[in-house]
Amino acid sequence: MSIIEVEAVSKTFYVPSVRRDTIREHVLDLFRPRQADLLPILQSVSFAVQRGETVGIVGRNGSGKSTLLKIVAGIFRPDGGRVTVLGPITPILELGLGWNPALDAIDNIFIIGSVMGLSLREIRGAIDEILAFAELERFANLKLQHYSSGMGARLAYSIAFKAVREILILDEIFAVGDASFQERCKQRYSELRAAGHTVLIVSHDPLIITGFCDRALLLERGHIIMDDSAARVCDAYNDLLHSAQPHELVPAGS
Amino acid sequence: MSTASLTYPPARSSTTHLAGLVWTLIRTDFKTRYHGTIQGFLWALLKPLTMFLVLMGVFSFIFASEPAYRLNLIIGLFLWDFFVQSTTMGLISLHVKGYLLTKAKFPAWIIVVTSISNALITLVVFFVIILVALTVSGRAPAPWAVALFFWYLILFISIVIGFSLATSVWFLRYRDLNQVWDVIIQAGFFVAPIIYPLSILPEHFHKYLYLWPPTPVIQFARAVLVTGAAPTLKAHLLLTGEAATVLFVGIAIFRRYAPRAAEYL
Repeated sequence: MSIIEVEAVSKTFYVPSVRRDTIREHVLDLFRPRQADLLPILQSVSFAVQRGETVGIVGRNGSGKSTLLKIVAGIFRPDGGRVTVLGPITPILELGLGWNPALDAIDNIFIIGSVMGLSLREIRGAIDEILAFAELERFANLKLQHYSSGMGARLAYSIAFKAVREILILDEIFAVGDASFQERCKQRYSELRAAGHTVLIVSHDPLIITGFCDRALLLERGHIIMDDSAARVCDAYNDLLHSAQPHELVPAGS
Repeated sequence: MSTASLTYPPARSSTTHLAGLVWTLIRTDFKTRYHGTIQGFLWALLKPLTMFLVLMGVFSFIFASEPAYRLNLIIGLFLWDFFVQSTTMGLISLHVKGYLLTKAKFPAWIIVVTSISNALITLVVFFVIILVALTVSGRAPAPWAVALFFWYLILFISIVIGFSLATSVWFLRYRDLNQVWDVIIQAGFFVAPIIYPLSILPEHFHKYLYLWPPTPVIQFARAVLVTGAAPTLKAHLLLTGEAATVLFVGIAIFRRYAPRAAEYL
């Protein structure tokens, strides 16, 4: 029985050519025709993940990877299709965004930790460990508004790694911190994998995908065009990048 | 609307976990707003108290013939202050704490409901000040009057929660809703009989003023606490019905828009 099952999921964003975000704009433009584009992000995407499996998702920018992760995590709602998830999910998305800047690291750990499903007792017991993992013990009482973006991202990873329950969803992991922090992340991640957690990873780094994933999906323009071993999918992704490059990227000086 | 079929395991909503989340949100809200100190809290109380002193200084001369004008003013002003604080915080709550929606799947209404906690704490302090002011001026209210007052506050809070649930999701789509609400609040201060006694307006206007929720709450509170005369049963039923309607409409609007809230952050 698969722990995550995604069947024929589609998602379209409604992108007005002129976005109206305020009541003023709606009232003033009441009689002006409104043009909008429908931007299909995901089209009939289906895949399944078995319990304990690690699956990578690769694809070019704009291919729908992040939207797919958010739908699986239950943060975005698909327009159609079926999503069945049989375990609690800890998503690690959009790191570095999202703090109460007026509060220090400890209070932010309490907020994020309790949203992610930790009890107050669990958080109290884990604070030292979280701060040590992020190497932020000295800045525990510093307000987040004084943190650098790297410090914030390290703290976000540390909390999320501590809060992992059954399924872990990672968007562009290992993209922050210095080499030693990334090393600790990889180690912690290997531990989680060994403990039998199910993991879904989005990454542009072929080494991450081939190094960690049992299987990978290649996403292109909202379709899954390949579902195979991580090595083969990475090769196909490389080919896709190189075949696309002459049209989309003209090197300077050519 | 959506044909998607979604199945997730039940959220880990054990009571202790939800209580921990609620407590953390209330505690950190208090800390953010008042710098985590009692002095900071007392400092924030100075604003409504100053308003009260200034308005009392000016208007108690104009309405010198009104009995118990000061007591009526303090009740009206404090209830109004609660209404402004709580609705303003509730309206922006999802916008301010929206980043939490991308961290995990959890009941988003908790963010909205806890956002009025600071205003509620202030309301408790106001409640005590009002009772002290009444006692000092020789009108110590009877227990039934205090009980009814308490009931009006529950209804007032229900109205505020219903309002906040609706406006918090709308604000994500209409980013100037807070400015519109500011204008309504400014006008609403004069629509509600706070600085003037309702009796100076012609009788046939009253029923329109009563549609503005702070009006009946303020008038009923004054009736039981100052005059010592409870409004009719019908009046109570109308207010209770109004509060229930606002709460349920708010819940319905929230349930309709909240599932897509994360897309509008």
